Amino acid sequence: MTWLPYAVAAWLFAAGLYGLASSRNLIHLVGCLSVCQSATYVLLLGLGYRWGSIAPIFYDHPPGTPAVDPVMQALVLTDIVVGATLTALLLVLTVQIFKRSGTLDPEHLRPIRRRGAK
Amino acid sequence: MSAALLPGWPAAALVPLPVAIPLAVCAGLLATAHFLPKRLPDILAAVTALVVSGLCAWLAVRAGDGTVDYWFGGWEPRQGVALGIGFSVDAASGWIAAFIGLLYALAFVFAWGFFAHTHGHFQILMLLFLAAMVGFCFTRDLFNLFVWFEVMSVAAFALTAYHLEESALTGALNFTVVNSLAGFLMLGGIGLLYARAETLDFAGIAASVAHSGRDPVVAGGFCLVAAALMIKAAAVPFQFWLADAHTVAPSPVSVIFSGAMVSLGVFGLAKLSAFVFAGSGQIRDTLPPLMIGLGAVGAVLGGWMALLQRHLKRLLAFSTISHAGIMLTGIGALSAGGTGGLLVYVVGHGMVKGGLFMIAGILLATRASVDEISLRGLGRGIGPAGAAMAVAGLLLAGLPVGLLDQGSRLLHGALEGAHPYALAANLVGAALTGAAVLRAAGRIFLGLGEDPGDEAGAPSEEEREKADRPLWLMLAPCCVLLAVDVAVPADWVRTLAPHAVAAFTRQTLTGSLHEGPAWAAWGSVAGALVLAAYALFRQRLPGAVERPLSVGQSLPARALEGLHSGLIGDYVAWLAVGLALIAGLLALA
Amino acid sequence: MSPRLRLTLLGAALAGLLPGAVAVIGRLPEFGATIAAYGERINAIVPAERHVANMVSAINFDLRGLDTLGEEFMLLAAITGTVVLLRGRRGEETTDRAMRLPGRAILPRSEAVVLTCRLVGPLLMLFGLYIVVHATVTPGGGFQGGVILASGTLLAYLGEGYAGWRDVVRSHWLDAMEGGGAFLFVLCGLAPMLTGAAFMQNVLPLGTFRDLYSGGLMLIENAGVALAVCGGFTQLFLEFLEETRESAGPEESGEDSA
Repeated sequence: MTWLPYAVAAWLFAAGLYGLASSRNLIHLVGCLSVCQSATYVLLLGLGYRWGSIAPIFYDHPPGTPAVDPVMQALVLTDIVVGATLTALLLVLTVQIFKRSGTLDPEHLRPIRRRGAK
Repeated sequence: MSAALLPGWPAAALVPLPVAIPLAVCAGLLATAHFLPKRLPDILAAVTALVVSGLCAWLAVRAGDGTVDYWFGGWEPRQGVALGIGFSVDAASGWIAAFIGLLYALAFVFAWGFFAHTHGHFQILMLLFLAAMVGFCFTRDLFNLFVWFEVMSVAAFALTAYHLEESALTGALNFTVVNSLAGFLMLGGIGLLYARAETLDFAGIAASVAHSGRDPVVAGGFCLVAAALMIKAAAVPFQFWLADAHTVAPSPVSVIFSGAMVSLGVFGLAKLSAFVFAGSGQIRDTLPPLMIGLGAVGAVLGGWMALLQRHLKRLLAFSTISHAGIMLTGIGALSAGGTGGLLVYVVGHGMVKGGLFMIAGILLATRASVDEISLRGLGRGIGPAGAAMAVAGLLLAGLPVGLLDQGSRLLHGALEGAHPYALAANLVGAALTGAAVLRAAGRIFLGLGEDPGDEAGAPSEEEREKADRPLWLMLAPCCVLLAVDVAVPADWVRTLAPHAVAAFTRQTLTGSLHEGPAWAAWGSVAGALVLAAYALFRQRLPGAVERPLSVGQSLPARALEGLHSGLIGDYVAWLAVGLALIAGLLALA
Repeated sequence: MSPRLRLTLLGAALAGLLPGAVAVIGRLPEFGATIAAYGERINAIVPAERHVANMVSAINFDLRGLDTLGEEFMLLAAITGTVVLLRGRRGEETTDRAMRLPGRAILPRSEAVVLTCRLVGPLLMLFGLYIVVHATVTPGGGFQGGVILASGTLLAYLGEGYAGWRDVVRSHWLDAMEGGGAFLFVLCGLAPMLTGAAFMQNVLPLGTFRDLYSGGLMLIENAGVALAVCGGFTQLFLEFLEETRESAGPEESGEDSA
């Protein structure tokens, strides 16, 4: 089962794409995007893990103790910040779209319409 | 400047400044914006962009035939293994960053006072955008590339929705979702490459890629990273977001989007495929069919869609898709000539397209519309803008003068023998986009073309932008851009290019840089003129000629317009199709 | 495209990607077997060279500090964007009238909530500060602590009500905090250059391993990040909460477009 974390990552991304393609509510859509992003968390942390290792913090354990990959943890921290910024911006757009158009259904929204087709 | 103050420093010490200065200025602006006089953010932003441009140009000169390398935090590589993040500036990257700085400075002048009551928020976002672009050009660390990629995206998302109309918000939403997915794909790709190469430094990954032979992990990493950059570069079938976002963004922002952001996607892809992935035979075999195929389709599709538009900014957005396709064929040529042509083309295209978006902004400000058909004849009072637009249209079509032409002729030279179809697609794309711009210029400024063709059925929307700036202030940056494009001495580029390309590709691509035939350029100009004339004077043609032509063109036109539905779900499905396409080609290679 | 056609297309594309995904997963390093040389090397050399116990902080603030600088400004871009987009023409005035849903009862704030918030609020702030200052020693750091500090201000909203919260939290100060923190971070990069060192080179005394003072320059960068994140997130909360107020006038588009 050593492939399981990677398969989970792929599955999460595909599930997120399915949600994005079929979503009928913008808030749900934002959630689906976060599901896609979780795939990257799982992949990166899975790649950086090693059995029997400690967290890469040498406070209780002396330096030299086998630890997991700190680079991946740092990358995931950045990734989390990316996620937070994207979610905030998308929710702002959602709030404003609802105020302007009164709907949250992406099927009813168009960036630009044919004249008179409103 | 700093060099005079601190003579002991080597040139390399200035490498971080083009990124750090705009960041420092925008942090300072944010902290103090409430207390600053109203015009100060405008001035500060324009000056900062100019300083960045100057620094980058200087670095480009100092890089010469090689690179200027810099390690942040003093973490020099040990035993050849990189520990920290490095910047590596070659002449081509430096000049492109310098061009981007200039484009920003002119966009700030163009937007003078446009965003007066925002406490400098507009300038803050734009300066962040600038810093991210320079970082993206200079970095030699894959994850750092991702960070700048995301900073660019986040600043761009917010700027797109600025008008807060329903259309602007929806366009920004589509842009945000698709480009966020691009970011996730890139991060996934970085994970895979890190798993194989155990480093994030370009040179380290390149060494590992060269050793690993036919390896699905490397191919998968390439597939994900390339897809992400192709989404940014609006390659077919990832191009859908671009038309939505560039149409609704405020015009000074669209100048940057079309002039720099999209081309940077191609630039990044060219750099990675030459620097990092050149050692993999599988990827080298995949690049020509992938880039030439998608690039050629994009060039023609974008051009055709541009010709079908009546909303000027949307027209220009589709022309950017076409030109991005043309640039991609340069990567597919897999030769020094193709890459050199692409790099020159990025700069030339940015100048011309930036100028055109400024003209759209001028029309928005002075005539309160960007709809070609409702503006017919209304441009008569602002003749100079019309002249600039006509010149820009001819340059887009391939008029053999200036940087854009030099870039396209290098591309033609690289494609000539091996990829005649790509050459033809490039010419058709240039002719179609040139024709679209010339038609719009003729209709708006000369009042021609009273009988609109298919473009009458294209989507359009009323839009306004603040009209408090004098015409000359808006026109001057546009003219500067066009003038620089035309005035850069061809001989200087000709001598610079071979060394710059060799350094840019880290000597992985071979071949000489030779320019394509002159007939090609004139051919696309003639094509553009004929198409524009047909669109403007169609009512004078005999019915027997005109009717079958317009019927034959209407049906595919509607089908194409239907594809660009504006629905985010469709775009996500196409994104998956594109990903599968890249993966399929990799598997077959 | 109809939804059915779209999902068919997506399904076909994903099915096409499946063999590729299987091939990649099959060749990835076995889960949990080993870690990359880069991470191994950092674990080996950094405790001695930077006197810090927390490797993740060392990467974020020293080895790969430039990434964190970019990340910090990404946050700044997002928050500036949020402010621009949410404010619109609403401007910076505040109204105290909450939006009401017709038919929903308005319950007064219970005393238990007030008491809990007054007790927990200061403790939470203290905890946030603890997380911030121990960045180089134990798990945590400026980002994490900054978010906790910002959440602490939310308890003031919960306990004291909206008006009380707005009295404490001023938008200008938040801007100054956010911009100032980010500026401090850039300064930590630029200042070492004046001594002839590289951008963000750790030129300060490194302190003692496992001590609160360890890591030198990292501590200042960390403080800058904490300041910026705390200011930024509070600004974010403020702008979103302002959306629950009744607007004084009709909503108009664009800060000053048109």
